[in-house]
Parts: sequence; C-alpha cells; structure tokens
Amino acid sequence: MFVYEKKLQYPVKIKNTNPALAKFIISQYGGPDGELGASLRYLSQRYSMPYPELKGLLTDIGTEELGHLEMIGAIVHQLTRNMTVEEIKKAGFQDYFVDHTAGVYPTAASGSPWSAAGMEVKGDVIADLNEDMAAEQKARVTYDNILRLSDDPDVNNVIRYLREREIVHYQRFGEGLRRALEKLDEKNFYAINPAFDK
Amino acid sequence: MDRTQNRTDYKCGSLPKDAPLAMAYVPMQDSANPSYESLEALSRGTLFPGLDLPLMNIVNDNLQACPMTELMAIDFAADELELYLDTHCDDSEAFAMYQTFLALKKEARSRYAKQYGPISQENMLGAKCYDWLKEPWPWDYQSKMEV
Repeated sequence: MFVYEKKLQYPVKIKNTNPALAKFIISQYGGPDGELGASLRYLSQRYSMPYPELKGLLTDIGTEELGHLEMIGAIVHQLTRNMTVEEIKKAGFQDYFVDHTAGVYPTAASGSPWSAAGMEVKGDVIADLNEDMAAEQKARVTYDNILRLSDDPDVNNVIRYLREREIVHYQRFGEGLRRALEKLDEKNFYAINPAFDK
Repeated sequence: MDRTQNRTDYKCGSLPKDAPLAMAYVPMQDSANPSYESLEALSRGTLFPGLDLPLMNIVNDNLQACPMTELMAIDFAADELELYLDTHCDDSEAFAMYQTFLALKKEARSRYAKQYGPISQENMLGAKCYDWLKEPWPWDYQSKMEV
C-alpha cells in the first residue's frame, strides 16, 4: 500500500504567475511521456516481473514518479493560482481555463487527456525493460524541451532536477536489464520469456 | 571538483569483451563512491557525480539550507541509495552508507515534526491535537511563508 508524506521530493517555490508556461508544463502531468504514465507503467509492470531486484526497482522508481507527478502539479498550480482573466487571454490559456479553471488536470500540452496508450505493459522482461529505458529518454527530452522554452528560474531549477532523475532511472533500468540477463540462458537470451514460460 | 565535468573513477563503467549482440548494454555503475554531499545531491538531482549530465552543462546552484531542505536532502540520499541497492544488493559499502542515512532520516524527521508539524500521520503519536491539517500543504508555497 502507499502512505502519503506531507512534503515534496524537491522544493517547488514559484513566485510569478505565468499561465503560458503552465500550458506546456502540464504535459509532464498528463502527457504521453509524463509522470503519471511513468508511474503507472512501472507499478503495473511489477506483477509479471519474476525477479526480486526488478520488482524492487519498479516499485521504487514507480513510487518516485508519483512524487514527481506531485511536483509537476505543484508547478502548474503555482503558475496559475493567481492568474487574472487578462493574463489568461494574453497567454492563450482560454482552452484549458474553460474546461478546468485553475484546477490541475492530467492532459497533454497538445490537449488530449491522459491516455494509457502512451505506455506499455508487455509482460515480457526484456521488452518491458527496454520500454522503460526508452520512456526515461522520452521524458528526459520533454524536460530538455521545457528548459528551451521556459525563462523562469524558479521553474527551471525544478525541471533540471526532474530531468536529471530520468538519467539516473535510465542507468538503473539498464542495470536491471543486466541483472535479468544474468538469470537467462547466456547462449540465447530470447529462448524463453521468464515472465510467462515457467 | 569542476562543476561542468563529471569525470569519476566509475564513469567509464565496465564493458566485458563479450557484451552480447542484439541486447541493449548499459554498463554497471561500479561503486556508490564518489558521491555528493546530500544537499548538493538534492540540488543537482543525483547523489552520483558520474550520472550528473546536465543539458548544456547548466546546473542548479545549491538549495538554501533550511529545516525542510535538510530533511529533503537526507531523504533524497536514502532514496537514491535504494535505487542503487536495488541493482547492487551485495555492495556492502553502499549498504553501510544507506544505514547512515536511515539513521539520520529517523532523527531529522522526528526533529522536524516536533517543530513544524507532521510529515507523516504517524508523527502525530503523542500530539496535542490533529495537526495533520496544519498549513501549508506541500504544493501551497507562499513566498512569505518560508518553512
């Protein structure tokens, strides 16, 4: 089960209202490579994962991603909580505002609501770990792109932190794949799927 | 250390001569050392200099030390070591480091809870009232309400 801790993993302290920034940062809340999808991908992959190292890794990274979801929610909230109608119009934030006001809703920057179509649980050890490594790279690029677009230092230090976490997670999933391979037939890693062929 | 360079002993990893075909290959991180001090680790997003690979080499300045960031930094170091240990469960040196942070974490958490209110609901054991609802919630930063 999960127990809530009343703190963020890294502080989010944004002074200036800026709905124009919130408009694209929301993608890491509910977009295809965002933190919600990351968390559900890893937490869901755990059930068919046969090895304890990987059950542990998927649990720990999946849990951390929930903490990142909360940080992105905090960024969007702090960028929009005091916005005026004039600021909404100027930022082109009307489309989001009319549906969600100043609430935080899991959607991609492009407007489509969060979808499980952006993630995969293949039920195969090698395929799932490759999916996870690719997912970390895609999230890293999304953060790169946010850093290219944002000029608010209060936002950027949080984004740099989150981006760096993707690199660490990539390394760990890569190591996790190595640990999985140690348990497979070294002459042919693809001989069986240990998540299915018992 | 030069903040834009991350050369460490383990950065090159260890690639065996017979790394297999048709398989992604990420080298194992050889050691949990060197490591950043915990507040610097939190500020940069990793405990490990060899994994610290910033976009355009622009890095965060260290966060200001305050009771909350100190607690976050200790928690972060422990979290980072947990991920490392998930793939390196036999690394006794890293496990000893992890034990140190777990002890620090326990102490920092109870100290923080006594002074500023509960981090988790179990911190309310012996509290005078149900102060779980005390503001601010984590997403409610106000510039005048520095914790």
